[in-house]
Amino acid sequence: MKFDTVIIGGGLAGLVAGISLQKAGRHVAIISTGQNALHFFSGSFESMEEPPQRMASLFEEAGIRIHYQNGVRLMPLGTFRPAALSLEDISLFPSPQFARSVLIVSISGYHDFFTQFLIDGLERQGISCRLQFLDMPETRALQQGPGEMRSVQIARTMDRIWEKVIQEIRSMLKDEDIVILPQVFGLQDISVPGRIRQGIPARIVFAGTMPPSVPGIRTQMLLKRRFEVLGGTYLMGDEALEAHLHDGVVHSIVTRNLDSHYLEADHFILASGGFFSKGLKSNPFQVSEPIFGLDVQYAEDRNTWYDPTFKADQPYMEYGVKTDTALHGLLQGEPLKNLFVIGSILGATHPEFGTAAGLAVRSAFHAVDQILQTTPEAE
Amino acid sequence: MKTQEFDVIIIGGGITGAGTQRDCAMRGLRTLLIERSDIATGATGRNHGLLHSGARYAVNDPESAVECIRENQILRQIAAHCIDETDGLFITLPEDDLGYQKTFVEACQRAGISAEIIDPALARRLEPSVNPALIGAVRVPDGSVDPFRLCAANMLDAKMHGGQVRLHSEVVGLIREGDTIRGVRTRNRHTGEIEEYYAPVTVNACGIWGQHIADLAGVPISMFPAKGALLIFAHRVSNMVINRCRKPANADILVPGDTVCVIGTTSTRIPFEECDHVAVTPDEVTLLITEGAKLSPALSSTRILRAYAGVRPLVSTDDDPTGRNISRGIVCLDHEQRDGCKGFITITGGKLMTYRLMAEIATDLVCQKLNVDKPCETAITPLPGSEDKSYEAVAQKIWERPSTAQKAAASRMGTGVIRIQSENRQDDALICECEEVSAGEIKYAIDMMEASTLTDLRRRTRVGMGTCQGEFCACRAAGLLAKAHDCVEKERADLADFLQERWKGNFPIGWGDTLREAEYTQWVYKHVLGL
Repeated sequence: MKFDTVIIGGGLAGLVAGISLQKAGRHVAIISTGQNALHFFSGSFESMEEPPQRMASLFEEAGIRIHYQNGVRLMPLGTFRPAALSLEDISLFPSPQFARSVLIVSISGYHDFFTQFLIDGLERQGISCRLQFLDMPETRALQQGPGEMRSVQIARTMDRIWEKVIQEIRSMLKDEDIVILPQVFGLQDISVPGRIRQGIPARIVFAGTMPPSVPGIRTQMLLKRRFEVLGGTYLMGDEALEAHLHDGVVHSIVTRNLDSHYLEADHFILASGGFFSKGLKSNPFQVSEPIFGLDVQYAEDRNTWYDPTFKADQPYMEYGVKTDTALHGLLQGEPLKNLFVIGSILGATHPEFGTAAGLAVRSAFHAVDQILQTTPEAE
Repeated sequence: MKTQEFDVIIIGGGITGAGTQRDCAMRGLRTLLIERSDIATGATGRNHGLLHSGARYAVNDPESAVECIRENQILRQIAAHCIDETDGLFITLPEDDLGYQKTFVEACQRAGISAEIIDPALARRLEPSVNPALIGAVRVPDGSVDPFRLCAANMLDAKMHGGQVRLHSEVVGLIREGDTIRGVRTRNRHTGEIEEYYAPVTVNACGIWGQHIADLAGVPISMFPAKGALLIFAHRVSNMVINRCRKPANADILVPGDTVCVIGTTSTRIPFEECDHVAVTPDEVTLLITEGAKLSPALSSTRILRAYAGVRPLVSTDDDPTGRNISRGIVCLDHEQRDGCKGFITITGGKLMTYRLMAEIATDLVCQKLNVDKPCETAITPLPGSEDKSYEAVAQKIWERPSTAQKAAASRMGTGVIRIQSENRQDDALICECEEVSAGEIKYAIDMMEASTLTDLRRRTRVGMGTCQGEFCACRAAGLLAKAHDCVEKERADLADFLQERWKGNFPIGWGDTLREAEYTQWVYKHVLGL
């Protein structure tokens, strides 16, 4: 099978690159193992402020609403963090003293929304809090399975019963300025968060829950849908196993599901993520990149991989695949001319692209620009 | 300042202290147990969790071997819910001397330990994960014991007999009148409050830290801190205990326990000052993996969950640099006879296996000092959770509420599961998915078992012990603790401490899936949840 570009990794970086190339008329395949970092997305594009125009339009065309304001956001454990560019689900405030009084609404039996921590954090800012629980036949039905009260399961139910939920919350509301709800709205029906906002006569703030992140999964779903609407091929549940190289050029990729049908392309993009996503592999002696065997920037002495303090910045998180300035992956010091490496597999090797979601978006555009400078080879 | 009087004060919330408190309380004494952190934080919770048959000591230390097999039989009766009757193998590998097997089996027989030579092919069938290259195998009645559960059950029974417990209280001084110890002065580690407790007898049951308490009393004890490092694997690779049939050496015991298995141990002499900060070194990790794979080759490709180390509370008897050849024997010191210091006893040495016997010896001495004439009944009285008379009630309870969490709780608490609240579905909600711990079980540990931190909860319920190492359940359990204590600020700090404590055991083995999990946890707590 021949494509113009084959992308390994269907997370934020891979999808941004895939959509951009497909929109420019290129023929793209994305190989995705399934879950990716968007499933535990914080909702804020770390290290990004005002979005580049191309990003704003890419997200808008995919139906994802983002907004930008330099300020702070409320974190799930009741702390406040600086944030700028974010999904619309994430409320941005000029300062932590954003309200006089709030009504926090959780769901009876739900342990993944940390109401005590939220109340503590808000009261420290002088905000008075009142806590209420939704206890409806539909939410009680979820409690029958001891492990069912998780964000995604609840969101599926909320997609069905949002009208009743609005009525419930309206009856709970007294004179609070703001209602804080868990981010369990709009998993498949993306209109639900907007309808909740319209239906309740107070400002709605969606606060995060224990992952998986409902807004993150929705973002992934919308980007994937956009890519497919543009004609892209998303190979869900497949995994790149190895690459065929010839003279410093990648010729094709072998995947688990396609067996002997190699994926050939003019360009390849490696967006397979960090350690958790298995883009980087480690054993007691080394850190490696498993598909191409690319050079990896890491310390030889394993004792220096970690900081013994959990909350400190961990050296291992900075490790990443080595590339040249054009983001061509290096194999034994030599760049592979038609392979670009993007997203968190780069670790902290390219600080100019930022970190996390910012790194994913910026490095994706950087690779796309170079691929689009070439003309696709005639088949 | 609060003061209170008791018949006996026991310092140390390890298995020896908890066992001694239970025995004293069962003989009708008014008891107080004082522990500077939580139950089972010292050597009690930092070993293999091996229910020794005594076979390991049969050749070199027959006295310990006899004690072990006797206590082994007793614990199977009184602590059934803490014990997994796995049996054990002593295997001979091609590089070992098969001649040792005969010496070993004869020594076991002399100690009264059943030791049956079996065909290597049968050993492979009984335990498919055993090194297939083995040339000899002996089957012995080893098993595994959950030390946290055992310790908690002793404490619970002491409380049921009227005993009082002060956890997170550190002894800062002994109250002395002339040549007599009258009581202890403690400082609560959470509140800073100083308290005084009086009793005619004080028992020092602090394991390796007993040297410090003896210092406070002005009596010299010379302890021999020997560090032992161990690794926990994420699966129950073997179903039987696997030992090497040779002179005891490093990393030659593999013990299955609950959902995991443990390989260990090493033995390194360390300075006394390091006892509070033992860390596992990369060399120890390498040695444990290499030697462990000889017992069961599957270990080399199994994810490691944690590395940890404990300090053996041995009393120095000679200058053996490894600490392995000295007796693990029980040491009970009557300081009145030994040092002229009245009202003060030290019970130390021994091992997890012989805790009940140690408690009996110490309690006999306490009773003698108090002129109390009551026989010891701990060998015949089941611990709470192991009373077989209520098996029917347990079965009914679990049957009534068919949930995985109920079944997991029953295996952890035995008949004690009937005390767990399960009034509504919210109590059945799973807090820890890896170990299937319900909200009801957590509430019980907070209300009845003196759990005040996440780490305390882990020791009582296994919350956070599974493959995710607490990344999901810690927050949920923290919510329940914050509610129970009505203090979020403390809980926020507790959550940070818990994650730090988990990381301490993860980074020495931070590669492969462990590093993947760590990257995820670190990302989620820092960037997604905002701790």
